[in-house]
Amino acid sequence: MHIPDGYLSPATCGVLTAAMVPAWWMAVRRVGRVVKSRFVPLLAIGAAFSFLVMMFNVPVPDGTTAHAVGGTIIAILLGPWAAVIAVSIALLIQALFFGDGGVLAFGANAFNMALVLPFVGYWVYKAVAGRVPLTSGRRALAAGIGGYVGINVAALCAAIEFGLQPTLFHAADGTPLYAPFHLAQTIPAMMFAHLTVAGLAEFAVTAGIVTYLQRANVPILRINHPDIPVTEAELEVRKKLGWGWAIVPIVVMIALSPLGLIAPGGAFGEDAPADLDLSKYHLSAVPEGLQRFSSFWSHTLLGDYGFASGDHPVIGYLISAVVGILIIGAVIVGIVALIRLFQTDRDSPSDGGPDDAERVVA
Amino acid sequence: MSDAILRASSAAPAPGATPRWLVNNEMGLCPCGCIGKRKKGSFVEKTLSGVSGVLRSAMFGDDVASMDGFLQRIDPRVKIVSLLGLLLVAAFVRNIPTLVAMYAGTLVLAVASSLPLGFFLKRVWFFIPIFTGIIVLPAMFSFITPGDIVLPLWTWHGHPVGLTAQGIEAAGLIVSRVATSVSLVVLLTLTTPWTKLLAGLRALFVPRIFILIIGMAYRYIFLLLNSVTDMYASRKARSVGNDQGEVKEGQRFVAATAGALFGKAHVLSDEVHMAMVSRGYRGDAKTISRFTVGAREVLFAAGCLAAAVVVLGGDRLLGR
Repeated sequence: MHIPDGYLSPATCGVLTAAMVPAWWMAVRRVGRVVKSRFVPLLAIGAAFSFLVMMFNVPVPDGTTAHAVGGTIIAILLGPWAAVIAVSIALLIQALFFGDGGVLAFGANAFNMALVLPFVGYWVYKAVAGRVPLTSGRRALAAGIGGYVGINVAALCAAIEFGLQPTLFHAADGTPLYAPFHLAQTIPAMMFAHLTVAGLAEFAVTAGIVTYLQRANVPILRINHPDIPVTEAELEVRKKLGWGWAIVPIVVMIALSPLGLIAPGGAFGEDAPADLDLSKYHLSAVPEGLQRFSSFWSHTLLGDYGFASGDHPVIGYLISAVVGILIIGAVIVGIVALIRLFQTDRDSPSDGGPDDAERVVA
Repeated sequence: MSDAILRASSAAPAPGATPRWLVNNEMGLCPCGCIGKRKKGSFVEKTLSGVSGVLRSAMFGDDVASMDGFLQRIDPRVKIVSLLGLLLVAAFVRNIPTLVAMYAGTLVLAVASSLPLGFFLKRVWFFIPIFTGIIVLPAMFSFITPGDIVLPLWTWHGHPVGLTAQGIEAAGLIVSRVATSVSLVVLLTLTTPWTKLLAGLRALFVPRIFILIIGMAYRYIFLLLNSVTDMYASRKARSVGNDQGEVKEGQRFVAATAGALFGKAHVLSDEVHMAMVSRGYRGDAKTISRFTVGAREVLFAAGCLAAAVVVLGGDRLLGR
């Protein structure tokens, strides 16, 4: 998947490099904030590891061998942002010192293999693994599936980059100036190779490394999963104190909500201006501002918790309750998703400190 | 196990002689594994030969870089900017003759920098341009690159099918562009020791922290390569015959090796960090730069600029 120079137009390389600059900047910020001064050696050795993983020949079923990219396993072990930097540097060393992959095309290669691959692989891994313990078989399987999906999405990106060249960049007489194949040819060619051989190699390496570490070096897995329990037993203890219990009072409140139907009178302090007892407040008229603003919005779907026509008040009230619960639930899920998106500490490796090192050695 | 030993010893030519599997040469594959004779061989030997290939090319590169030649004497920052500028020019060129002229220019630079020409040609053409030439062959046909058919081959539902002028031109364009680009990069890397190349990257506005990480990564690649060689060599020493057919077991070995390597690398990074802190490292990088830009550098940069102008101007004159 290493694209050499000359296959992509300078414009394509420029766009993809421009897309990588904020990613690199963000990665340096995110990783630097979490690991502080350990940042330089950790990433340097992560990059060296990434370079070496690309050198490992993996036996695949037809008797031949393939090699893995390893972006997903680094994202799982050190976090996706650290993987962005580590794989980028491995690619730069390959391009500059060993002539594997182009120099102008470095941005494009980094986009496919150092940004798309680790992030897609990591997301798939997180989705499949959920919160199962670190040593469970599902976590290793999730890592393998993440690696498989990650390398295939990255290959698809490369295929699209190739395939757009003849359409976008050709001379007046139709001569393609860069890679000559169209999307209809590049996508099947790239995907066939990656869905079969390369994807399997990535699956085997990613799942195999996690399995090995589960058996031999669990502290390494803890670097990027500080709050995931190691074993099933530990998980049981935590479950009792977990979020699940917050559901119980919410369900009780939902069950009690029809009580509002039998409550007499209106809610305190929510009277319409017409219902105000003006003399109680020593007023002779409804204040102008209150008059104006109390009625400036009247386009409600279920006004006064019922239908606009006023028919079937009980059904209207219950439907209002259900709609309200659904909207509030959706808003909370949205906010949680946003917080997860911007939450820093969980995605990046922990600072660890000296005791972390000891755990790794032990 | 004993079965395997028996079989291996019965296959050996004579007692005492070196067994055949030990002297068989593995064909070296490119790290990408996408060209060359796909010989179905042992993944252990392939990895070992890949490792030694990296070591060999790094050592040889440093040897050539320390020779006395034209490009070796140019300040690395000027060299990087100039050659990458020419690389960009090569990306913009739209005619084959212009690219061929540029390629000839790289050959002149290679000779002037006392690079052995045969070696330079082999290093450049193996394997990217040749690989490109092979995969680009189908693009010459009218069903991929439509255009003026110059060599009709057969008809399909009344439509002539054959090689098109546009397709042939496109194939020539990409092969010559790839060869020129690879030559420029090889010229840069072969004539610059990696430490200087790294320091020269600062001229491209690469932040110092990145330079520091890249430098350390490059250094530790070679240290960790030793671990890889040890693990694979000991595996090879423990096994008899080839490892074919044992896919599952082989994959498990590769994954365990990589996992163990990560463990070692992580411990190493902690040790390096503590060593750095104990020497006063506080999170920022400092470099000693002693590069000079003299008359030679100015002349070289001016020459490259002139070449770029001539190439782009000539290309415009050729049309397109």
